[in-house]
Amino acid sequence: MDIHQFQVWLVTTIYRNSPVADLMRTAWAWPIAESLHFLGLCLLVGSIGTFDLRLLGVAKRVPIAAVHRFIPWGLAGFAINIMTGTMFLLTEPDQYIYNPSFHFKLLFMTIGGLNAGTFYLTSYRHLFGPDAPLDAPMRAKVIAAISLCAWLGVITGGRLLTFYRPAPCDGQQKGLLLTCAP
Amino acid sequence: MIDINPFLAWVESTTLSQWIVGSPSMLAFPGILVVHAIGMGFAVGVSAALDLRILGVAPGIPLADMRRFLPFLWAGFWLNAVSGVLLLIGYPTKALTNPVFYLKLTLIAVAMTLLVRISGRAFASSSGGPSGPPVPEITPTLRKLAIASLVCWTGAITAGRLLAYTYTRLTQLH
Repeated sequence: MDIHQFQVWLVTTIYRNSPVADLMRTAWAWPIAESLHFLGLCLLVGSIGTFDLRLLGVAKRVPIAAVHRFIPWGLAGFAINIMTGTMFLLTEPDQYIYNPSFHFKLLFMTIGGLNAGTFYLTSYRHLFGPDAPLDAPMRAKVIAAISLCAWLGVITGGRLLTFYRPAPCDGQQKGLLLTCAP
Repeated sequence: MIDINPFLAWVESTTLSQWIVGSPSMLAFPGILVVHAIGMGFAVGVSAALDLRILGVAPGIPLADMRRFLPFLWAGFWLNAVSGVLLLIGYPTKALTNPVFYLKLTLIAVAMTLLVRISGRAFASSSGGPSGPPVPEITPTLRKLAIASLVCWTGAITAGRLLAYTYTRLTQLH
């Protein structure tokens, strides 16, 4: 099975087995889930974005570890968005699996995740230890800048989904991922 | 009662309105929506972070130092004021004939008023002793303002999202 066939299999399988499609097609479920998705976005930007800004040099007198206490709230926002996002995906899989804007959104999420992992692997001990400096090293600043860009990329990919709705395929689809509905 | 339909029809007839709605460019309507979502993230996100700090999250941050993040909140706010006006010029009938739009604007106005009051209290340079920087006190009033702020932003975002589902007329032609 190549990746195009995998996408088709995924869409078909989700349509056959979706546990939430009936709920999401009720009058207000989708709009409520969208509102929660936007609230989660704000929590994520307000927490992870604020921490990134601190690493980049905003509010320099404040210990970095003190600002890090916002991160669980950012993770809560992220969890809300994974849940609501999964509900959208499990209801209209073809609108996401074949959508190039969704592919970019997933790419930016992956970059954001790996980038955050890199931060904890390379900088955690240095920035959270007893002799933690108030000015983050250049390495951590680069990570913070990548983080901000990645999450803005995720928001952009999400907001543009509706403008890249996959059209029916005519002929053989080229490219790494399928971006039309067979 | 003044008939606003001729005014709405005039707005929709302008070159700017027709470019926002009709241009195939991703910088037109889609790009403005992207800016509006990013501005929301910073405006509401930083405001919520300030509210959470007042409510006891991240107690290691001196409250007065939270003001360093406020320029990003205001940048988000102004991005959204501009992008919001552009969206309004694009679809004036859709917004102005929908009561939910006025609810959204009211909630944003209340949230920003609360922010100004919270800033005034949290960042006040009142005396904190002869030595050292002044330490603002987190009073029950400040906590109530922070909770009200979070409630207003939640309402404003929900109302904003529901605009796509509650409008009755898209344009003068429809």
